[in-house]
Amino acid sequence: MKKKLLAVVLGASMVVAMPASAFAAEGEGEVKANGDYNFEIIVKSYQSSYWQAAVKGIDQAKEACGVTANSNGPNAESDIADQVNMLNDAINKKPDGIGLAACDQEAVLDSLQAAKDAGIPVVLFDSGVADAPEGSVYSTIATDNYGAGETAAENLYAALKDKIAAAEAPVRIGEVNQEATSESITSRGLGFIDKFAELATADGHTVAVTGNEYYVNNAKDKGDEASANIIIDVAVPAQTTVELCATEASNILNKEDTIGIFGSNQVAAEGILTANGNLGVLGSDPESTILAAGFDAGSTIKAAVADGTMFGAVTQSPLAMGIKTVEVLTQIANGEEVTDVPTEGYWYNAENMEDDSIAPNLYD
Amino acid sequence: MTNQNTASAAKGKSSLNKLGGQKFIVILVIIGLFLLFSVMSPNFRKYTTLVSMLDYSYYIILMAIGVTFPLITGGVDLSIGTGLICYSLVGGYLISFHDFPVIAGILVTVLFGVVIGTINGTLVALMDIPPFLVTLCTCMITRGLGSIIVGGFGITWPNAIAPGGWFRKIFKLTIPTDGKPRLLPIGIIWVVLLVLVMSFVLNHTRIGRYTISIGSNKEAARLSGVNVKAYHVLAYTISGLFAGLAAVAYSAVFSTVQPGSGAGFELEAIGGAIIGGVSASGGVGSVTGSMLGVFVICLLKTGLPFIGLQANWQQIITGLVLIGAVLVDILKKKRG
Repeated sequence: MKKKLLAVVLGASMVVAMPASAFAAEGEGEVKANGDYNFEIIVKSYQSSYWQAAVKGIDQAKEACGVTANSNGPNAESDIADQVNMLNDAINKKPDGIGLAACDQEAVLDSLQAAKDAGIPVVLFDSGVADAPEGSVYSTIATDNYGAGETAAENLYAALKDKIAAAEAPVRIGEVNQEATSESITSRGLGFIDKFAELATADGHTVAVTGNEYYVNNAKDKGDEASANIIIDVAVPAQTTVELCATEASNILNKEDTIGIFGSNQVAAEGILTANGNLGVLGSDPESTILAAGFDAGSTIKAAVADGTMFGAVTQSPLAMGIKTVEVLTQIANGEEVTDVPTEGYWYNAENMEDDSIAPNLYD
Repeated sequence: MTNQNTASAAKGKSSLNKLGGQKFIVILVIIGLFLLFSVMSPNFRKYTTLVSMLDYSYYIILMAIGVTFPLITGGVDLSIGTGLICYSLVGGYLISFHDFPVIAGILVTVLFGVVIGTINGTLVALMDIPPFLVTLCTCMITRGLGSIIVGGFGITWPNAIAPGGWFRKIFKLTIPTDGKPRLLPIGIIWVVLLVLVMSFVLNHTRIGRYTISIGSNKEAARLSGVNVKAYHVLAYTISGLFAGLAAVAYSAVFSTVQPGSGAGFELEAIGGAIIGGVSASGGVGSVTGSMLGVFVICLLKTGLPFIGLQANWQQIITGLVLIGAVLVDILKKKRG
């Protein structure tokens, strides 16, 4: 009887813990506080579901780690001064550590120096601060963009694998990136290209990358267009507008040999959907439609994924970032060495987007 | 007094006649580009490409109609691009988060444009601040304001199938068939109607006459006893009104309006107006010309990617076309 009860309790606790563990990198639940720690955590804003998910992660982890953490944040991501005030108030409270998702990289520099002078360790999450005073930031927890691009490639390739194998003529995979300059976008774009090429090559296909010079030149192997049977066609619009992304996407979606397309952020993914508004070629059946993979969420992309117009998308995981932030702060307070933590991107589609492990990450 | 009045009006008319030539050239350029892209890219010839091109042109044409007025007065309105996004964000925010009916959201959007336009006009005409400075400031202000009001997040107006999505049908009807639905880009009808109305306003009403005379000879207009300042303000109000209408068109065509975007939209509208024959120094211009000029820009924006040109080349070519248009303007002036 006792054993049975124990099994039920264990089972129940496993179910409860699952959503959290689904997101944690490694060592979930192993981080326990060695003392009575109190952390101050400041998110970018309290309005969006993205940040509410981060706070949910923070609340989950503070229970698990046995610490107290007070989360705060300005009304809007643009309220930079408010956030700096909150950060300064947090420093004055002399907590055991501060978690910060900075609204503005420049505005927080003085406060980071103040935190360092006061001996309070800072962990940044979601966004790094490039010029942070040496020694003030112990760890930065942010999405591994290259890995997130790879995730999109893995899922798209798996769905298109049979079609590619059966194809008699070369096929085309499109990729729309809103620009070729920022670290996050280029990493996602290259992650997708390299992974797709790697998976296809392993199956005996030959891949070539064409289109935008930056991505062609920085891909691991740009291949030879004349002999390849898979062409990855990379488009970058002249400006970062939905409209120009849509025009680039129309161009690719109009090509007879296109079977799949990836948009590496919300603007690019919505551009693909806007183009499809007139073309009507996207869907979830690889035999009769072009499969599109998106990035991030927002109500437009969520609706398209839910009705199958968009095959799926990669979401960042604010929930996991929240959890990791508390864990790393606890580790620092315990006196452990910590490093930067890349968090994964998660694939979602019509089937799993309602799951407890995914839904909190899908902001409007 | 009457003499001066008719003199300035006559000057306006003769410069309008001169415009005929440039419009003819622009129409030839449009036909030429269309043929070129059609030959080079079979996909460009598709009906859906044309529909997309029209979809993406409405908001720029609407901005161009409005900005033609300050340009003709010898001024400029740089606030229309970020303004458009700001108005659309606010209207969409009220609809999505405060349960405003869509029609009320649309009215707020347009009215907001009128208010900012009138503020621009007041600062330019009554305070004598250079239009470039005034509208650069309101450009920055609207950019920040839009983000603050909505809290920094993208705003989605109701989608086509949602209740309240009717306003999207103003610009495009989708008629279901057995296969793919048939698309009717009816927005072009309304846009052309507005172009005709504003052409009439510019060419056949007092508003237009004084707009032109402010640009060609402000002093003469003032001496003629006209309340120049009121008409000067009105030119910017018209620009704001059309930025507001452009905001509605933008919201109807695109799904999400992103705060912080919009900078650069104004340059496409102003560029279109200049290609269409609005003189960069004021006094000359036509609304139909501005619309045709925007078509050139939209053709380039759609056609160049379709023939496989990469982003940087697209910008270079668009820039070269603009320089060409300005050169034509200058050469015309020198000749005559």
